[in-house]
Amino acid sequence: MRLLRYIAGRLVVYLLVVVFGLTVLFFVPRLGPTDPIEAMLAKVASQGAYMDASQVDRLRESLADTFGLSGTLLEQYWAFIKRILLTGDFGPSLSMYPTPVMELIMNALPWTFGLLLTSTLIAWVLGNFVGLLSGWKPEGTSSRVMEGIAICLYPIPYYILALVLSILFSYVWKIFPLTTTIRGAPWSWDLVTSILWNSFLPGASIVIVVFGWWVISVKAQTTAIKEEEFVRYARLKGLGDGRILTHYVLPNAILPQITFLALQIGLMFNGSLITEILFDYPGLGLLIYSAVLQGDFNLLMGTISLSVIAVATATMVIDLIYPLIDPRIRHR
Amino acid sequence: MITVDTVTVGYGTTAFVKAVDAVTLTINDNEILGIAGESGSGKSTLMRAIYGDFSTGLRIAGGTVTGRFEDERTGVVTEAQSRDFGKLWWDQISYIPQGSMSVLNPLMRVEKQVVDGLPKREREGDRAALRARIAKFLEGFGLHESVLDAYPHQLSGGMRQRVLVAIAAFVNPRLILADEPTTALDVVVQKKILLMMVEIQRRLRNSLVLVSHDLGVHYQITDRLAVMHRGKIVEMGPTAEIFANPKHEYTQTLIASLPRIDGERREARA
Repeated sequence: MRLLRYIAGRLVVYLLVVVFGLTVLFFVPRLGPTDPIEAMLAKVASQGAYMDASQVDRLRESLADTFGLSGTLLEQYWAFIKRILLTGDFGPSLSMYPTPVMELIMNALPWTFGLLLTSTLIAWVLGNFVGLLSGWKPEGTSSRVMEGIAICLYPIPYYILALVLSILFSYVWKIFPLTTTIRGAPWSWDLVTSILWNSFLPGASIVIVVFGWWVISVKAQTTAIKEEEFVRYARLKGLGDGRILTHYVLPNAILPQITFLALQIGLMFNGSLITEILFDYPGLGLLIYSAVLQGDFNLLMGTISLSVIAVATATMVIDLIYPLIDPRIRHR
Repeated sequence: MITVDTVTVGYGTTAFVKAVDAVTLTINDNEILGIAGESGSGKSTLMRAIYGDFSTGLRIAGGTVTGRFEDERTGVVTEAQSRDFGKLWWDQISYIPQGSMSVLNPLMRVEKQVVDGLPKREREGDRAALRARIAKFLEGFGLHESVLDAYPHQLSGGMRQRVLVAIAAFVNPRLILADEPTTALDVVVQKKILLMMVEIQRRLRNSLVLVSHDLGVHYQITDRLAVMHRGKIVEMGPTAEIFANPKHEYTQTLIASLPRIDGERREARA
């Protein structure tokens, strides 16, 4: 019963956060001076099509209808919220009219998700492993070397690292493709290798850049927890180093890292803008980029709404999972 | 049991800071030995040297700490210097820390924390049998079986301290060292826990060393008392005798500072 109430409470908060986010998202663009209908009409006119006044009026009306801009502001708002929460419909893309925004997003999502999820998880596991060991035995040569590498990699701006990788490994040494071109029949081995081959450099660039951060943060955790009294007590019990590390230090050090990981996964829906632009990777980031360039309001709203929902969902999932991994949160 | 022979203990390697200065002391079988003294008098350092906990730069600069452990269950007699005591931890020697909030692993259930580190001889039987024995043992401390499934944060300070005493006692060692085991508790809980420790010592007939700055604690349970001041033992003898007839000036001051029921009421002075 208490558990049900806890979950219900979380769900209510979740819904409120999502609605609040969508509300901001609805009103902020309307504060700006641009009118997407007039912009569209201007675009049509600039393409040389001649329309008389009544035709323009009819086009204006139908555009207002498809863009969800008819009616008063409040009516528009309710229609917007209902449409997104109930049907997940963001309308047609303006730049790739009449393809629905949802379809474009659904095409891009697996790419972003596959790339980011894999590289984030690899970086997380590697980073935590290295950071944990270097925090545990800071004097060891290997942990010093690994930590040195992490500290050197950590402050490099991402775009520089990605460019350097790209120049080195696909221009100077032509090992990996410069831009992403996926070939192969569906579900064939060729397709799989092609995807892996094309995703290697963008994936590696993300792993390298995030790795350092995981190392540094888990190392700080480990160094602090190592000095905790329960670790000293475990040592005075005569427990071995391995057991102390795996049963006393690791579970306590990894807890905050799990929170960060879940937040990272939530942020994934933003796509990795720079990665996808630099490597021409057909994910959400590239989609947002082209939406901005082409003034595609619907597509922008769609991708941003999705990332609002995704971050809120990730946070809720952490809240629901956390009691399973941290007993101190379970019983209150 | 343990012979401490003119031992000098301190911290640091280049600049050596002396904390215990040429102390000689014997811990006998089947006794409760108290070590008293103010903060910084070296009593905890001495205890660590006896336990063999040479981490954080602790080092014996002179003298020896020798232990002789007769295990009547196996008939094995182990003799060792305290720097080699590590392999006897949670077998022949166990330790009761001062029960702050963070002595127990916050993410581990109490049952597992009792079992973790137990010597083989105390682990006999399957998990259920071991659990039943631990539960029965905890009952003697006034702790319900449900405590075994609890996480440390769910227990009160007094319960946590009882758990710590129980963990050390369940090992069934020849020597238990207790470092300020009741300092953080109120006097009622303190008294309960002290009586439990006496009860255990009488039952196991092993040795208990109790380090505390609180002379009242020593008066209640110790058989012998060593009073430390500035790294030296200034007075040592049967507790009752020391309280009846303190020889050293420092001991006299300590005893005089204890509140008395018939004493006159005075304002505290800085």
